[in-house]
Amino acid sequence: MNLSKVFTKAIISSPERQQEADADFAVVKQVQAGDVAAFDKLILKYRERVFGVVYNLTANREDASDLTQDAFIKAFQSINRFQGHCSFFTWLYRIAVNTTLSHLRKNRLRSFFSLEKLHEDGTNAEVLEQLTDKKGADRDTYLQELKEKLNEALQKLSIPHRTVITLFEIDGLSHSEIAEVMGCSEGTVRSRLHYAKQFLQGELGKYLRS
Amino acid sequence: MPELDQRPKVTVEDLLRLKRAERPAPEFWSNFERELRQKQLTALLEKRPWWQEIPQFLARRAYLPVGATAILAFTLVSVKYYTPAPLAQVDAPPAGSPVSVDREAAALVAPVTSPLVNRSESSAEETLVASAAPVSAQASPEPIELMPLLVAPRAEETPSARLLAANLARLEQSDADFGDNALSTRLSAPVREQAVALATEELASVPTHSARRNRLLAQYGGRQLNPEPAPPAVVRERLARRLGDAEVSDRSNRLARDMDSFSTPMPQIVALRF
Repeated sequence: MNLSKVFTKAIISSPERQQEADADFAVVKQVQAGDVAAFDKLILKYRERVFGVVYNLTANREDASDLTQDAFIKAFQSINRFQGHCSFFTWLYRIAVNTTLSHLRKNRLRSFFSLEKLHEDGTNAEVLEQLTDKKGADRDTYLQELKEKLNEALQKLSIPHRTVITLFEIDGLSHSEIAEVMGCSEGTVRSRLHYAKQFLQGELGKYLRS
Repeated sequence: MPELDQRPKVTVEDLLRLKRAERPAPEFWSNFERELRQKQLTALLEKRPWWQEIPQFLARRAYLPVGATAILAFTLVSVKYYTPAPLAQVDAPPAGSPVSVDREAAALVAPVTSPLVNRSESSAEETLVASAAPVSAQASPEPIELMPLLVAPRAEETPSARLLAANLARLEQSDADFGDNALSTRLSAPVREQAVALATEELASVPTHSARRNRLLAQYGGRQLNPEPAPPAVVRERLARRLGDAEVSDRSNRLARDMDSFSTPMPQIVALRF
């Protein structure tokens, strides 16, 4: 691991992230030592987040399920090569994103939506209230339309732009973490993010209020 | 649209945050876990393609060439910096002290570069001139103290050196004459003259009655006066046998007759020659 990466990691990563990475690395050590069942802890911990990334990139729940499983299988097969240079979470994300991008490139022409149900809970209730004042069936129809338009706009983005905005806005990764996952510079990440937001503003202008 | 303007603003970030709410139902995860378990078992059982094993194979086997290269490099460095054992320091006798001919001969033979040969000859020298002069055959300890690992072990301690010394002693005992003559090639003039006289006596004792023999004997005797070294006894014996052979003399006579008959058609040349 080169010195700049160590320095960047030390500066950027929060103590909570560092603790999480250390705990993950301890579990990885167990798996590397032959305790295969310990890998289940990592699956349970990260399956929803990995599925979320893959789902937001593909907009298809069946594909997302298969690709998430493939990502975990690849991580399990390559676990002996993981040496702790980055956090396990970043490493797993990289595998998942690369698997998904490879799938998207292969099936560029075959894409259709298979969307999950929108769960209304405390975190997004406020946004939904802001978006619509409709109630009952009208509200559900409106939200379904909004969801489809949102996924449609995302799918119109190129794969790198879609990946960046998914990882930043939906999964909450930092610029440096996205750069590490995608293997590019932070400047490239910022540039792609800016372009993707501009594009989405143009596509979703109907639903936006400024 | 005054109502729309009063509502709080909605940004792209707010819309994208809604995507977090798109989550699968809990039963989805049970199915997911079952499928993942099956895939995991399949991945454990199925053999991976050979090209995926190459990086791991190289990572494992990288130790072998590195080790071999290290051994090779160590061997090369050892050979390059190998220092031969220092020659035994023999004290020169004091001026005017009687030194035998054998010691002189051994001193002439001494500058051979191989350490084993040097050690064997110095041991032979010790046996030859032990009584003639005080010899201190102790090697200087300084090089060994300075470079204890790089200096080769003393040649006298090795079996090959002992074998060489034993062979030399046996050779001297079995064929003293040959040894003396071989040494006499590098000896001083009186010793060489003595050897020449011995060879001439041997040649003279060969029973032949030919003028050619006398002429060759005279030539051979004349050549002995030259500073060229005398041939060894085996060669001299072989030469004497050939000279004493009547068949050879007959052949030479026949050849001389043929030459005479060949020269008869050209009398003018003979006349011119004489």
